[in-house]
Amino acid sequence: MRTKITFVLGLPLLALALAIPLFVTDSYILHSMAMVLFFAYMASSWNFVCGYVGQLSLGHSAFAGVAGYVTVLLFTQLGVTPWLGMLAGGASAALLSVPVGYATFRLKGPYFTLTTIAFAEILRIWLENTDDFLGIPLKGAQGLTVPPVGGSNFLAFQFDGKVPYYYIILAMLVGVMAATAVMERSRLGFYLKAIRGDRDGAEALGVDPTRYSLTALAISAFLTGLGGAYYAQLFRYINPERNMGIDLSIDMAIMTIVGGQGTILGPTLGALLLHPIGEMVRATIGGSFLGLHLILYGIMLMLAVIYFPKGIIVPLQRLLDGRKGKRAVTRGAVKADALEGKGQ
Amino acid sequence: MSATRKILEVKGISKRFGGVQAVSTLSFHLNQGEILGLLGPNGAGKTTAFNMIAGAIRSDTGEILFEGRSLANLKPWDICRLGIARTFQLSKPFGGLTVLENVMVGSFVRTSAEAEARAEAEKVVDFLDMGAKAHTDADDLTAFDRRKLELGRALATRPRLLLMDEVVAGATPNEAGEMVHLVRKVRDLGITILIVEHVMKVIMGLSDRVIVLDYGKLIADGPPKDVVRQPDVLKAYFGERYVDARA
Repeated sequence: MRTKITFVLGLPLLALALAIPLFVTDSYILHSMAMVLFFAYMASSWNFVCGYVGQLSLGHSAFAGVAGYVTVLLFTQLGVTPWLGMLAGGASAALLSVPVGYATFRLKGPYFTLTTIAFAEILRIWLENTDDFLGIPLKGAQGLTVPPVGGSNFLAFQFDGKVPYYYIILAMLVGVMAATAVMERSRLGFYLKAIRGDRDGAEALGVDPTRYSLTALAISAFLTGLGGAYYAQLFRYINPERNMGIDLSIDMAIMTIVGGQGTILGPTLGALLLHPIGEMVRATIGGSFLGLHLILYGIMLMLAVIYFPKGIIVPLQRLLDGRKGKRAVTRGAVKADALEGKGQ
Repeated sequence: MSATRKILEVKGISKRFGGVQAVSTLSFHLNQGEILGLLGPNGAGKTTAFNMIAGAIRSDTGEILFEGRSLANLKPWDICRLGIARTFQLSKPFGGLTVLENVMVGSFVRTSAEAEARAEAEKVVDFLDMGAKAHTDADDLTAFDRRKLELGRALATRPRLLLMDEVVAGATPNEAGEMVHLVRKVRDLGITILIVEHVMKVIMGLSDRVIVLDYGKLIADGPPKDVVRQPDVLKAYFGERYVDARA
């Protein structure tokens, strides 16, 4: 069932996304569209582990930030192309995630969440207050800028218009969804869902929960890191607050939960719904009511939890099944244990 | 098949929870291919002993040998890989997965290929006679089907020893009959079975041999018919006065 909605809804969305730059030339709108895709990508990376294993991490921004810093520093200090820098950054995030995950995955529910927040915040505060670490110029809260090389330069990951950035993040989003689809059908995917459903039961069937949760976390951290590196390149600027603050983690989590945890398309649906709302509020009301978009996110989250606890993908799935007028779905759409019961 | 080959040897295991000695220096063994019933009144230490074999809790003393190999310090997933599967008193299927997918979680322990795991799981689902429900969400099953599904998940790991905790608890007489039939079918596959059960009638008809625990100690070991006549067993189940009255 899940694969079906991924294609039925996902392919037209992809076609639309591919075509948008042909019609839209306004660079602000294109930039906003790229940001929607960016958040869809980040939420999907978060979903890769959290959505399937049913644990709420609010520390994923640390992976994005670390990878962003690695990419920017490799480029500005050593002249390494950000394309390679991204991979190095993603790998650093994955490496970092293993000890963090090893310590936190034995905790459940709110304890796990609080520990991930603490981890990310410690790292952020340290970075904000460190100008120089072992000779590496981190420049604390001020952040790092990526000097323009002038014009479009593929190797330097710098482009004149917004279109290349748009297509890069679109390709990354398709990539993370493909990775999720492969994972869902693999042993790892089955094991993560088993751990989510009943940890003791999974253990008795030969599943080492720590090992498989950590594997998924490392992949998720790597993917999140790629996104963080992209974000730094898009703005040619990185600082601890923007690139690894808790807001980013919260966005990833809320978009996934509202869209549908533990599904391929859910996080993207969440980003498509929520990011434009946030963006419009910021653009229209702007500075006169700071944080209003977060209040709206909160309201959306509450509505989703009350009416679609397994994400807005569920009613869409029902619509799809209804239209075909087929047998009652035995599979019952998407039964991710999102916020309810075991999931939390 | 030689009935004398011991597949599992439990040697002097104990477990203390605070002030309660749940199991004290318990020793018994399972012969290859037999169905052994583990009996005892509530709180006798049956489930504790069971969990020590499955690796869910560690014993304070003694050792457990499976096919001659010590299970000391092994985690539940290691024990499963060695060839011991278990079911739980409360069956909790993996929600959001179908019956077939639940069973696949078990079969993935022997293969990492999805197609192979699926094929193996399909065989198990047929064995359970649950083919019609293969694509039903496991959350939508009846209590008894969940129990069968749990047995299926365990079988999919291809165990040589199966530990079953309370298989017919809450089942209707019909369902209990079906489960007894299934357990026999499992034994016919060559799988040795240790079964913990409250329902006397079930265990008497099913077991080749029974052992009885009381206050964490072994008080009887033998064929079902003989064991139920032993005064110690009657005392444990019905109390001292019942035994005296019969005498």
